[in-house]
Amino acid sequence: MTEDTRPRDAVVIERELDAPPELVWRMWTEAEQFAAWYGPTGATVSVRRMDLAVGGGRLVGMTMQTPDGPMEMWFTGEFREIVEPERLVYTEAMSDAEGTAKTAAEMGMPDDHPVVTEVTVELTASGGGTRLVLTHAGVPADSPGAMGWKMALDKLVAHLAGA
Amino acid sequence: MTAMLDDDRLSETFAALANTTRRALLARLAHGEASVNELAEPFDLSLPAISKHLKVLERAGLVVRSRRAQYRPCELDASPLRDVSSWAEAYRPLWEERLDRLDDQLRQLQRSSTPPEPRRIEPDQEDRT
Repeated sequence: MTEDTRPRDAVVIERELDAPPELVWRMWTEAEQFAAWYGPTGATVSVRRMDLAVGGGRLVGMTMQTPDGPMEMWFTGEFREIVEPERLVYTEAMSDAEGTAKTAAEMGMPDDHPVVTEVTVELTASGGGTRLVLTHAGVPADSPGAMGWKMALDKLVAHLAGA
Repeated sequence: MTAMLDDDRLSETFAALANTTRRALLARLAHGEASVNELAEPFDLSLPAISKHLKVLERAGLVVRSRRAQYRPCELDASPLRDVSSWAEAYRPLWEERLDRLDDQLRQLQRSSTPPEPRRIEPDQEDRT
C-alpha cells in the first residue's frame, strides 16, 4: 500500500455501487448523466465542456438559489487519465463562466485552499456491482505556505479564546 | 496512517479544545512561549490545576514542553489543528451527498434497464376541459 505517501490534504471515499463499472463510468463521463447527480441538492448543474480525451477540457457550472438571489460557481480543468471503465483523473479549479481560473481568495474561499485540485475516480468490478474509490487531493505545488497557516491559526485561537 | 488513528487524534484535539481555560492557554501561547507560572498568572487556579490542563493539551499534541531551559517553557504546536481544518475535509460531506445521488440515479437507470435517453417532453394536451 502507498498510504504513507498519500497526500495529507486529500479526502478519500469508498463506495459499493449496485451497477457494473461500465454504467458508473458513463455517470462521470457523459455530460447529461453527470449533470443529473453532481449537485449539490437544489443546484442546477450545467456542463459547458466535457471533452473526454487526455488534455481535454472540462467546464462545469452550478447555480444555487440563495436568499440573495441565484449564485453561480464555475469549475474548469482537464482530463489527465482516461482508462475506461477503470480510472478517471481530472483537475479542477474555480473559474468564471468562460473557464478562466481564479484563485481561492478571489472566490471567497479560505487562503489555504489549493488553486488546483485533482479528482481521481477508480472503479473495480465487485460481485456484479462496482467498488468506487474517490480521491480529491490538492495539487502539491499549491500546498499552503507555513506563514499563511500561522496567521489563520492566530485568528482561530483568538476566536476560540473569545468563545 | 489509518483512518481510525486519524479519527482518534481528532477526538483528542476536540476534547482538548472543549474547555475555556485550555482555550485561553492556547490563546496566550499563540503570542509566544511561556512558563507555567506565567501561564497561571491571569487565572484564579492553582499551579497543579494549570499543569493538569497543560497535560491535556500536551497529550493532544497542541502544546510542547521545551527541554532547553530549567523552567521548561510551553510552546504552541499548531499541526493537530491543521488536520481539523484541512480544506479537503470540508469536501467530504459534499462528496458523500453527491455519491448518494449517484447511487440513486444508478438505481433508477437499472430499474428502467434500458440505456438512458434524454427525457421526452410530453405535449400538455390532457389538461384541457
